[in-house]
Amino acid sequence: MARYGMALNYKNCINCRACETACKEENGVLLGRDNYRIWVGVKEAEGEFPNISIMSQVYHPSQCQHCDNAPCQQVCPTNATYYDENHVVRVNPTKCILCTYCINACPYDARYVDNRTVTVDKCNFCSDTRLANGETTTACQATCPTKVRVFGDLDDPKSEISQLLATKEYRRVKEHLGTEPKLFYIL
Amino acid sequence: MNSFSVKQLFTFEKTPLNLLMAFITIGLLAAFAAGAVAYLIHGHHAYNVTRQHPWGLLISMYVFFVVSSTGLCIISSIGHVFGIPEFQQIGKRAIAGAIITISSGFAVIGLEIGHPMTMVIYNVLTPGLTSAIWWMGTLYGLYLAFICMEFFFLAIKENHKLSKFFGIGGLLVGLAAHSNLGAVFGFLISRPSANGVFYPVYFILSAMITGCYLVFLMYGFRYKMNFPEKVTVMLTKLSKILGMLLAVLIFFEIWKILTALYGDMPERAATILHTIKHPNFWFGEVILGMLIPFTIILLSNAKAIKATIYASITGMIGIFFMRYDLVHDTLIYPMTMLKRSEYQLPPTFLEYFPSPAEFAVGFGGIGLCLFLYYIADKVFNLDESHSH
Ligand code: SF4
Ligand code: SF4
Ligand code: SF4
Repeated sequence: MARYGMALNYKNCINCRACETACKEENGVLLGRDNYRIWVGVKEAEGEFPNISIMSQVYHPSQCQHCDNAPCQQVCPTNATYYDENHVVRVNPTKCILCTYCINACPYDARYVDNRTVTVDKCNFCSDTRLANGETTTACQATCPTKVRVFGDLDDPKSEISQLLATKEYRRVKEHLGTEPKLFYIL
Repeated sequence: MNSFSVKQLFTFEKTPLNLLMAFITIGLLAAFAAGAVAYLIHGHHAYNVTRQHPWGLLISMYVFFVVSSTGLCIISSIGHVFGIPEFQQIGKRAIAGAIITISSGFAVIGLEIGHPMTMVIYNVLTPGLTSAIWWMGTLYGLYLAFICMEFFFLAIKENHKLSKFFGIGGLLVGLAAHSNLGAVFGFLISRPSANGVFYPVYFILSAMITGCYLVFLMYGFRYKMNFPEKVTVMLTKLSKILGMLLAVLIFFEIWKILTALYGDMPERAATILHTIKHPNFWFGEVILGMLIPFTIILLSNAKAIKATIYASITGMIGIFFMRYDLVHDTLIYPMTMLKRSEYQLPPTFLEYFPSPAEFAVGFGGIGLCLFLYYIADKVFNLDESHSH
């Protein structure tokens, strides 16, 4: 099967937050301070006027990195967190005991507690909404006005994401931890 | 086993100390019940845990109780497994304490884990063998079974061979379980201040210290500070052991802090610097938990038993702060340092203070311990029996 990942032309991000809204809408994420699957981090410009570094101001869209070597999966006592057939890191609410160990173990703050199932939830690349209906894009990608996001199969050399990663320089977040994250930030 | 009736069970000598203990116990039990009700109604919303700080006081208190249990088990094994004669008398009292403290720990964690029944089922059906929590939970279950059997053959149907057999089993499984609990924190690659070998080793060390403090407290209460010769000899030796353990702990802590600060590694150095400046650390952990007991033992050449018993109270308060800081300090550094919305400041060190429900359940667990210990002391003869 596929090995899904996402490349982000994050320098094109205009911080409109349409992706956050689309995700909430598509996946029925509840309102509330801690309830979000994706977010846009803002790094403010550095320096004192008039020497303000415009380049240092960054919008950094983020979500679960779908690590190939996911700490959240290793620490889960009941295997409620698992890799599905598309290498998407998923949570099975039937098995989750809400020990919240995975929330502590995730280096990216990608997990939260869903108040309906009272289990841990996070981005699953729209697996049980859009992908299950045969769509090939995620909600955040489909809605993005500046085409920041490219979602696709990393194992298929012809996919748009593979082509992009073959030709562009990119970096991944906290790569030194060995988590093998699958969000690629195109430089 | 003593013969008893329900009436006897609830009659005790009405000394001021006993009455005070009775009031504290009843108050804490009531708090536990109230906290449990709040949790059953509101779930985790009754607690101040958040997405960024998902563990809080209840995990600390769980660790506090199981550290106490493992510590009592290790200290009791000095006499009862390793055969040092002066320590044989601790056996029953310490193992009863070990069973009681771990049971209270399980009661507290039962009100923190979201789905305890699911845990029982899927721990068996789909075990997560790479999870330190899985190993810790499974081994602690086994440990409880072992020490219950040990107690059975110590106090109910005396059988020295079998009690020793289960004693060794309980000790080994307990050590494995407890170091796994350290690994729950030590394995966290996301948390540089906790990641590494320190916690699994430190947990065993601090368990032994906790075990000493608790033996002092139980004996101080049992003999109302008038110790027979035999007990004085044992407590003097225990005091020497405690002094040595504290010296090792202080040494460990110093090197942990120095290695964390040296070279100013990102996240780790800043976290440790932030936490050692907090009174929880320098007053709670260092002064109450280590220096007061250590100084008393050192200056009196381990002979000031009464003072050591009072110092065991500050020691246990210090142990509480060690457990609290273990959880809080591990989580204090945010996992993402960018702000998420316009009306927010960039993240800094996380704040957390337990909610009333967390205090009620967590400290209520101490009430469970006191109550169960009172019952055990009434029902069983926890002093050394002569046929032993
Ligand atoms: S980003 Fe966090 S939640 Fe997502 S796979 Fe990696 S460790 Fe797990
Ligand atoms: S909270 Fe659920 S998914 Fe996370 S580690 Fe615990 S059981 Fe696994
Ligand atoms: S929708 Fe696109 S441009 Fe808008 S915040 Fe999200 S990633 Fe940035």
